[in-house]
Amino acid sequence: MERNEIIERVKNILISVLNHNRFEMKDELSAPEVEGWDSLSHMAIISAIEEHFKVTFKLKELNKLKNMGTLIELIQSKL
Amino acid sequence: MLFNSFEFAVFLPIVLILYWIAFSRSARSQNILLLIASLFFYGCFDLHFLALLIFIALFNFKIGLVIAKGKTEKRKKMFLWIALLFNIGILGYFKYFDFFYSAFLKILGESAHSFHILLPLGISFFIFQLIGYVVDIYNEEIEPCYSPLNFVTYIAFFPKLFAGPIERAQNFLPQIEKKRDFNYAIIADGLRQFLWGLFTKVVIADNSAAIANNIFDNYSIYSGSTLLLGAFFYAFQVYCDFSGYSNMAIGVSKLFGIELMQNFATPFFSTNIGDYWKKWHISLSSWMMNYVFTPLSFTFRKLKKTGLIISIITTFVIVGLWHGANWTFIVFGLLHGFYFIPLILKNSMSKSSIVAQGKSLPSIKEFLQMLCLFTLVMLTMIVFRTETVSLGIKYFIKLFSRDFFTAPVISDKLKTFITLFFIVFLIVVEWIQREKQHALQFEKVSSVYFSKPVRWSIYCLLILFVFCFKGNEQDFIYFKF
Repeated sequence: MERNEIIERVKNILISVLNHNRFEMKDELSAPEVEGWDSLSHMAIISAIEEHFKVTFKLKELNKLKNMGTLIELIQSKL
Repeated sequence: MLFNSFEFAVFLPIVLILYWIAFSRSARSQNILLLIASLFFYGCFDLHFLALLIFIALFNFKIGLVIAKGKTEKRKKMFLWIALLFNIGILGYFKYFDFFYSAFLKILGESAHSFHILLPLGISFFIFQLIGYVVDIYNEEIEPCYSPLNFVTYIAFFPKLFAGPIERAQNFLPQIEKKRDFNYAIIADGLRQFLWGLFTKVVIADNSAAIANNIFDNYSIYSGSTLLLGAFFYAFQVYCDFSGYSNMAIGVSKLFGIELMQNFATPFFSTNIGDYWKKWHISLSSWMMNYVFTPLSFTFRKLKKTGLIISIITTFVIVGLWHGANWTFIVFGLLHGFYFIPLILKNSMSKSSIVAQGKSLPSIKEFLQMLCLFTLVMLTMIVFRTETVSLGIKYFIKLFSRDFFTAPVISDKLKTFITLFFIVFLIVVEWIQREKQHALQFEKVSSVYFSKPVRWSIYCLLILFVFCFKGNEQDFIYFKF
């Protein structure tokens, strides 16, 4: 799957979990910059990504995520 | 040797002079002095457990290296589990053995028995730092520390040794790996933060303690409205005691050129419980989020909101238990966990952690939300204060009795009104400074509220308040945790 397509799909997942689109998808985007993306909603987002892409993450992999760029790369590595 | 004691007023200047003059040649010499001073400081309180502290720190230092060098994932995991069992085992033995053993005997129908195990001071704080350290190495978030001197200094650093902040290695260790240069701005800021902490502790917390103690100790003879007043003063006692201690600890640390993490960010100016826990005892709540809630919510993620609710309630029961081996703390944790359920169900997370950002006053809605949140938190503090859960329930029942609508009985009117005045003063200053790291943090350029004469007037006033209105000395509440 193309990187841009993954980005687009992750964007739609974020919109559906957080109920808003007030963020700009870029590699440097980090969770605290996105309204509502906090420790309570984090796993809901991760779980939705896993279901959508039919992948499974390890906690250790999630702990290393720094920003959107590293999340997209992690998804890409599992497809 | 408490921060607000005469002994500390002698100890601190001596260590500072040695640190910035005689031991200032290299990072190593600075750290040697800090370690000696820290061990002396701990030894003054708790000579019995000094060797235990050093042993636990060195054990974790070594096992951190072993985990990092582990050739296979299996080996790394095995040593992580050894480290976790060792740390939790020590904490469990000293802090919880008596409690669980008595509970076990009760289940069997036998009478309770206590071994009277002494609790090493600060154990909950330094054990949590050590657990965080080994987990972070296992998760490859940090490199292990290769210097035993630096590592033991990190764990034993006296300003944070007894009651935190629960400092993460990645924040602390890089600061002591390089030589610290005398920086007037940081040191002046440390002095200001210490002054604010001292004021909130000795003036507000200690005076509030006298009022709250009287009401809690004699709750059966007072009206509901008086009990509400008792809970109000106790809430401010706990806040000013612990945030005061934290500000003093962070302030003292800055005098050595070391910046510890912020531990309180005006938590009573929160509009929901999630927001509150981002601002109250931040070093503990962020630790719990990283090492307890995240793994739990990851494990239960397929259960969606139910999984989140299980994770948050379990996390807050552990938060409660962290405070001590007593059912009252478990109930305290449970109540806070339950407060999160509406947030999870409504999916309504906090938009901003600073209320009325950029404005002078909150909106009526924000004000009511803050008042409601404060009331909910204050009610949980009743059970935090009482010795048993049944006493807490009796206090609740009495509080909401019919005489709730009568005027409260105030035994020492002058002291109560003076303390109330200082609480209002605290609320005003902290509201204005709510976006800052502490109430007396000022930019170099004079702000509208705080021109130079105003700032110096505040310092002088605070010093005057400390000397003229200090309450009877009370132990720091969080020392016993």
